[in-house]
Amino acid sequence: MEAGGPVKPVTRRRVLIGLGSGAGLLIVGAPLALNAGRPALVEFIEENGTGPQDAPRNPDLWFEVTPAGVTFFVPKVEMGQGIHTALAQIAAEELEVTPEQLTVRQADTARGYAGGTMFTFGSTSVKALYRPLREAAATLRELLREEAARQLGVPAGRLTAAGGSFFVAGSRERIGYAQVVAGKQGEWVIPKAAPVLKARRDFKRIGRAMPRTDFRDKVLGTATYGYDARLPGMLFGAVARPPRFGARLVSASVGAAGRQPGVERVVIDVGAGFAGVVARTRTQARAAVASLDLRWEGGTTASSADLDAQIQAGSGSVLRRRGNVRAALDGGTVVRAEYRTPLAAHAHLEPLAALADVQAGGRIEVWASTQYPQKIVDDLRGVFGKDREVLVHPTQLGGGFGRKAGQHAALEAARLSAAVGKPVHVGWTREEDLQHAFYRPPTHHVLRGSVGADGRVRGVEQFTAGGDIIWGQTGMPEFVRDALGFDPGGLLGQFLPYDLPAYRVVNRREALPVPTGYWRGLGVLPNTFALESFMDELAHAAGADPLAFRLRHLGSGEDGRRLRGVLERAAQSAGWGTPLPAGRARGVACCLDLGTASALVAEVSVQERRVQVHRVTVAADPGLVINPDGARLQVQGSVMMALSSALHEELTIQGGRVVESNFDRYRLLPMRDAPEVEVILIESGEDPQGLGEPVMGPAAAAVANAVFTLTGQRLRTLPLRPGT
Amino acid sequence: MQLTVNGQRREVTHPDEMLVWVLRDELGLTGTHYGCGIGACGSCTVLIGGQVTRACLTPASAAAGREVTTVEGLARGERLHPVQQGFLENPLQCGWCLPGHLMSAAALLERTPDPTPAQIEEAAGINLCRCGGYNSIRRAVARAAELKREGL
Repeated sequence: MEAGGPVKPVTRRRVLIGLGSGAGLLIVGAPLALNAGRPALVEFIEENGTGPQDAPRNPDLWFEVTPAGVTFFVPKVEMGQGIHTALAQIAAEELEVTPEQLTVRQADTARGYAGGTMFTFGSTSVKALYRPLREAAATLRELLREEAARQLGVPAGRLTAAGGSFFVAGSRERIGYAQVVAGKQGEWVIPKAAPVLKARRDFKRIGRAMPRTDFRDKVLGTATYGYDARLPGMLFGAVARPPRFGARLVSASVGAAGRQPGVERVVIDVGAGFAGVVARTRTQARAAVASLDLRWEGGTTASSADLDAQIQAGSGSVLRRRGNVRAALDGGTVVRAEYRTPLAAHAHLEPLAALADVQAGGRIEVWASTQYPQKIVDDLRGVFGKDREVLVHPTQLGGGFGRKAGQHAALEAARLSAAVGKPVHVGWTREEDLQHAFYRPPTHHVLRGSVGADGRVRGVEQFTAGGDIIWGQTGMPEFVRDALGFDPGGLLGQFLPYDLPAYRVVNRREALPVPTGYWRGLGVLPNTFALESFMDELAHAAGADPLAFRLRHLGSGEDGRRLRGVLERAAQSAGWGTPLPAGRARGVACCLDLGTASALVAEVSVQERRVQVHRVTVAADPGLVINPDGARLQVQGSVMMALSSALHEELTIQGGRVVESNFDRYRLLPMRDAPEVEVILIESGEDPQGLGEPVMGPAAAAVANAVFTLTGQRLRTLPLRPGT
Repeated sequence: MQLTVNGQRREVTHPDEMLVWVLRDELGLTGTHYGCGIGACGSCTVLIGGQVTRACLTPASAAAGREVTTVEGLARGERLHPVQQGFLENPLQCGWCLPGHLMSAAALLERTPDPTPAQIEEAAGINLCRCGGYNSIRRAVARAAELKREGL
């Protein structure tokens, strides 16, 4: 797949001063939207005409400099991916402060990150903010430099910024940033010249390991996740769930619930399909919900077999057409194979959770583990009125993986809080989280390919079908989805990254009777499993070494060059081609997704119909690495989550509901199945690309390919179950 | 009913509820995490009388008269427990499973100061980590053992 689009350049005019004038406070941010109300923004408005119609109350304010130091309000949420640390490193680089001099805080929605800009998804955070954040930080640094020069009575050119101070060349004189701000009189003025960003060779922080900003609190047990949010006088809520997907609440009465111990309020709104209980403890609330008298109607009675029958590749939108595939498949050695991947859950270990404080007729304040804070604002305004003041504080997230882009717990807590007039916390149970979520949709892939006597692929025809991903989570009408024919989420990892003379790709999307949506990497794991397994099948049909076969088919362009780099490095480090102990084999696979190339070699054995992965060597090229430690964790985490899918995970639908209710039935990768993962980071670009998801791609195929080499059995369905 | 948690006597009004909720919701000790409620993930692991215990399966009343230790009770003021230092040097990602790993490791090192990789695997292996930090967990526990032997 293509590398991601170019990063939109940020002009000097997009960097704003928020507030100044001798207040001892300087705020700098890059507006992702703007506020016409602040005088300091006039310059921006003059240059750009009027602001957008949906201008928020505040611009995006990233930094505050006070006599106490510099505070960085991070506009993305921390779900373990280390984004607060990575962004702090980028900021510290241009600001010329040490990480210790930078206080990192999660921004809330009142700081005005409008629209979707706080939405933390798609491995976009570093990629999208790398340049705007540097420009904002550099602008702040230059503002301070000009002012420092004025206060010291020296030319700005004689000042060197380092460690949060300016040093005067050729003297021992220095002045700290806070001192500069404290001594400022009058208005701050944006420097006429655009700030000069540091050259890569001068980087002191980007590219070096830096400790996680959030981890000390985590080892102390004091970090606050959504499930941990607390307010004085708060109560606990629980909500009734439908017995089948799509079932409607048609009548509800309090039943015995009202007399249960600890119950403060039963809240029923049949029109909204809502029935819940507020109680003094969580256990009491859950027990009372179980004794509500509820009647549900309709919904689906589908089973897994029905879903599989619906997901049938073979027709749909033609997404790519190159050469004459029919002619190519009319000769050579033809291979046909079908692959399937199942419905899967996110299984973030912190279930959905939120605390809401709805003040009668006034402000609604929410603390939630959410990837999409602005969506909570919109959802709450949809229920409580579009002019309602809503403030969302994103907390730490105990995992997200796409699931926390939707956050119903916040809306549920708010409904209950509004009814009872006190803050209410709703934390889902594991059973609710597994059985009432949206899921990674199942997929089906049919591939036909042919290799010639010269050992090269003559052509490939590829049919793919999958449940909706992005369309499953947006309000896009069915006729529009149908007209388009494919789901954009399903396109991730959709195309073979090789130079093939003939290639035809046909994709089909389906709205399933169970909710489906974003799951880490979207299409990249299912698609890469199918495509890279098939590439292996072609290699074996050609009698070629699977690594050499892949290298032979890479193009000479940028994508081919980067894939070649990761394949060669991973293979070399894994000892590809060197002897292994009896009963073991290696498999290889690669992937290009969101601008990041990765290749993975898995070393496996098969014992009693179980695949054991002993060792994984993975090379990833995300262009530029901000924090090598964080990048390694992201890559290892992607490999482990992909292995979990490859070896264990599968949801079963029966009678319109999910059978697996907890981790006794829905098995996640345990430590004993977790191999040592060697991570090789390659930097072959100017700018950083996505790294949270692309490496979800190659692991399942690499393991299946190794199993084939070892046993001669080609496993084409996830999870991989040899000997069945 | 009274509970002794991290050396402090605490009054508990819902002794029949599971310890994980009493600790978190009643006593405000939110460092102990809920993950599954069936003892499968280990995020709620605490020590009762030094024994590794799943707080999601243990009624608070079962801890009466015994010493409960949670993640909040590991550090001594500013001084981190060796297992905390071990994980600080070998961090995980989201950290929701972390309290369970910290408590399991603390118990392991009490009885086995110099654990073999297999013993680390056995003790840590009962806790899940969805972010896939298993390589870090192995190193963190080994590092913690080293720090503890050095007298941290």
